[in-house]
Amino acid sequence: MQDARIRLISVISLSIATFLSVPGAILALLWLFLTPKILKGAVKSMAFWVILLFVGIVAIATQLSGNDGISYLVRTSVIILLGFSVYREWHPGEFLGLSVWLFGKKTGFDLGCAMEMSMQGLHEASRAFTRSRSALSLKGMQPGIRLIPAMGFLLIHTRLMRAREQADLLATRGYKAGGSCCPEFRTSKRDIIMGILAILILFFSFMPVRDIFILLM
Amino acid sequence: MNLSLSSVEWHAGSWKFSADASFCPGVHLVAGRVGSGKTTLALLSSRLIRPDTGTIGYDGIRAQTLSFQYPEYHITGSTLREEAESYGVDPTAACARAGIAGREDQDPFRLSRGELKMFQISCILMRTWDLLILDEPFSALDCRAKLAVCRAIDEIQSGIVLVITHEQHILPRTDYLWEMRSGVLTGLGTLPEALFAWESAPGPVRMLRDRGILPANLRRDDMLEAACRMHEYG
Repeated sequence: MQDARIRLISVISLSIATFLSVPGAILALLWLFLTPKILKGAVKSMAFWVILLFVGIVAIATQLSGNDGISYLVRTSVIILLGFSVYREWHPGEFLGLSVWLFGKKTGFDLGCAMEMSMQGLHEASRAFTRSRSALSLKGMQPGIRLIPAMGFLLIHTRLMRAREQADLLATRGYKAGGSCCPEFRTSKRDIIMGILAILILFFSFMPVRDIFILLM
Repeated sequence: MNLSLSSVEWHAGSWKFSADASFCPGVHLVAGRVGSGKTTLALLSSRLIRPDTGTIGYDGIRAQTLSFQYPEYHITGSTLREEAESYGVDPTAACARAGIAGREDQDPFRLSRGELKMFQISCILMRTWDLLILDEPFSALDCRAKLAVCRAIDEIQSGIVLVITHEQHILPRTDYLWEMRSGVLTGLGTLPEALFAWESAPGPVRMLRDRGILPANLRRDDMLEAACRMHEYG
């Protein structure tokens, strides 16, 4: 999906649809299959499976306590998968463009700038984590609970150092508030179709399953 | 003992790394411009990333390590003592060697990047390796520290040492010269003859080479000796 605006609308629609009902979650999952490459990349992520493990534990506990744990598991898993897939499609500068388009050059620029820096931070943290794991393997050490504080501190420290450098850079360049940015969006036919499908999924998720079949008939 | 990269290829988007090389015991200097694929070579050689095609062979190599360009990536302990112990070396000796004696109980992040780099390189160089890969070992170091690292590399008696760097002025004694050229690893041979084919050669080497003078090696003393010969040749 090229157009960040349609992607945002699709994600919001699908997230609400997934949150509302299990059929909505299943339809959102089917929507994700329209971009198999991105879905495959998201599923390959180790972090996705770690988060899913915790969701699974909570779902089991919910089910055992007499509530609908399966529904929780399905809906939350799809929302997480949606998040991971969208994250993989993000390109540097996209949030800035989107935010300026939505909220203008003052508030939009500030908000977009903060979002861009946060996304960069996530990328950097992911890279730092990978390198730390490599360092452990080079030292012949096994990742364990004892190493979590050191690795956590490393991630926080490198992020704080980077944030300070970014703040200095913005101040040096005379940044106070707002800025000029002329966002450009490219919209393909595929983007439009996928956007419409996402809105339709949201629409269907508001309806009981029985009514959907009546509509189809 | 041998490290071999047979028809190795690795891709990042449209960019391609390729290598067909064999590294025997000795000091191998891998030079090349920024972005030419030096770090990729380090990661592939240490088997931290897998090649898309080709094979990487470790013949007789049992103990191997890689020193990253950024020393922060190596930190796994909350004190320098723990950090040194994670390498299996004596903390007091490691701190002394890095010029930060008596600071064993200090947080590694309280050091400057240069100090941390020196400490991390010292820890690595205090052990014996069959394969030692140093990715940009001189980055963040001052001249004195760079010379100390060069001396330590010169003292290594066995194993394969890959010094991957774009450093132009202070270099260790080198047995074999390699160059990364836009993603392609090119063997230039032994010194001093290899200096003729070195495209990204440092300025002093190029100047001497243009006058038909070749330094015996790349150490500072070798360069000074060759520079002195310029007067003999007029």
